[in-house]
Amino acid sequence: MTDSKQASAFKEQTPLRAKISSLLSNQSVVLLITLVVLGSFFQWGSDGIFLQTGLLGTVLDEWGSYILLAVGQLFVVITGGIDLSVGSTVSLSSVVAGWFVVQQLHKGADITGADALPYVLLIAVICLVVGLLVGLLNAFLINKLKIVPFIATLATMGASNGIAVMISVGMPLQGPNDWALGAPWMIGDFQLPVSTMVVATMVITTIAGLFLHKSRFGLYTYSLGSNPFATRGAGISVEKQIVKVYMLSGGLAGLAGAYSYVRLGAGSNTSGMGMELYAIAAVVIGGASLMGGVGRIVGIALGTLVLFVVQSGLLTMTVVQVSPDLKQVIVAILIAAAVAVQTLQKKNGRK
Amino acid sequence: MSREVIYEIKNASKRYGSVVALDGASLKLHAGEVVGLVGDNGAGKSTLVKVLSGAHAPDGGQIFLEGKEVTWESPRQALEAGVETLYQDSGLAPHLTVSQNVFLGREITMKGILGWFGFLNKKKMEHDAHRDLEAVGIAVPASNRAVSQLSGGQRQAVAIGRAVAWAKKVIILDEPTNHLGARQAGEVLNIIRNAKAKGLGVIFISHTLPHVLEVTDRIVVLRLGRIVKDAPTSEFNGDTLIGTITGTIQTIKVEGD
Repeated sequence: MTDSKQASAFKEQTPLRAKISSLLSNQSVVLLITLVVLGSFFQWGSDGIFLQTGLLGTVLDEWGSYILLAVGQLFVVITGGIDLSVGSTVSLSSVVAGWFVVQQLHKGADITGADALPYVLLIAVICLVVGLLVGLLNAFLINKLKIVPFIATLATMGASNGIAVMISVGMPLQGPNDWALGAPWMIGDFQLPVSTMVVATMVITTIAGLFLHKSRFGLYTYSLGSNPFATRGAGISVEKQIVKVYMLSGGLAGLAGAYSYVRLGAGSNTSGMGMELYAIAAVVIGGASLMGGVGRIVGIALGTLVLFVVQSGLLTMTVVQVSPDLKQVIVAILIAAAVAVQTLQKKNGRK
Repeated sequence: MSREVIYEIKNASKRYGSVVALDGASLKLHAGEVVGLVGDNGAGKSTLVKVLSGAHAPDGGQIFLEGKEVTWESPRQALEAGVETLYQDSGLAPHLTVSQNVFLGREITMKGILGWFGFLNKKKMEHDAHRDLEAVGIAVPASNRAVSQLSGGQRQAVAIGRAVAWAKKVIILDEPTNHLGARQAGEVLNIIRNAKAKGLGVIFISHTLPHVLEVTDRIVVLRLGRIVKDAPTSEFNGDTLIGTITGTIQTIKVEGD
């Protein structure tokens, strides 16, 4: 009885104002509005070139190279952890794959097109394996040596970077590449803003989202970040979940390494430099909480998009000239703004 | 009491370094019986609970479930054997919904290939959670509501309801009425009576002695890791219970028989 009373009381207080405020407390809605505002602003500020296919293609290409990291980071952040090693994993995996194909199989950059496709797939597999291993190492440091995720992944970040430099001797390793994978799709003469690579990352993101929101693996990810004691008390192995989540993050970082290889046609020890910060920024802007238990895949997809719309948009501005060096500052402002908005939403949303 | 002994611990001891947390404790629990476990801070209640729930292995002693000796390697094993524990500090995952909490660790998956990948049958879990909580006497808040949106009393009701609904043989409740108002505490005591009526053995740990006197059939008093008194609740009143806990009333050590 008390339940139905409460339910009706809950319904009564949803006039228009309450509806709007509940809509605004949904991070994805806020991000969509932000995207529309930003898009219109840059379209105006760039004399109408921003929303052209070519530029949108560039934005989505950038999005594709970061979204896998952001997705992996989201799982980790929901458990209440953090993975700083993903950027270095991009570098390391692309370098290891390049080293194997170039220096062991002796295949060079002269192999292109369909001939190169098997090698590209091989590279993707090698990158994935390297990423999974880095993730496994992170989980080992966290589970067995009881090192907090921040420090554990900071250590693997440094180690992966160092190994990438040692293998590559600081030079890009150029190997076979199928450039068509990164080329825009065409419908007749009309150019779409997506390539095979970008679509592949979208598919992976969607699958990851289904697992996060609909499966047991996703449920345990949330419960671990929400209350590790209750999770353990329910008979769930917290250690196993940590292994899975960090291996997922590492594996996706490895695939991002393959993405970067295909973009550049080479593995390089600098290809993932600083990417972990963007991934964390995207996750925070996307509405996840670094305290754990909160975050949705749609939010992260949109959050990553906001990051690159702002960056590319600013560079295309003709009304005012913006220096590319300002990029870092703008990302910083976005993170601060996102966290501030979250805090305000919490204040208003819960009494 | 003529009912069968459902859970028994014999002569259990546990040390943490040089600290003796449990010193030869023996305890019998019958089906359909509520046993109160009381004692001052540091008397060994938490340790005994951890041993009984499978979280810690005792250094010495034996555990019997329905007459058969068991050793718990993990809480999961105890859970699967029908011994459910509600820890004082664990409770629920606030970001998950009521039904997700009720089914945490025992999810219902979809049929076929989706189930193989671990995809969850959300509708069935929401429906069953509602039904199971109602069955143990809980006015259920909407199954799909996040636990963080519930009041403290509702949360505790869900946590206990979850434990009672899943328990097959024994349920151990560590301070379930802590931080609750009088009315909510009364509801929790009612849930305990329901569990008893279901034929479960209930171990009720609490500092709130009036609750212990109200709901239990028997009271076991722990002091400095030893069981100093094990008697029907009718032999106690508020004063004698406090006296036994603090040691101002002399007791003879009860030998496990």
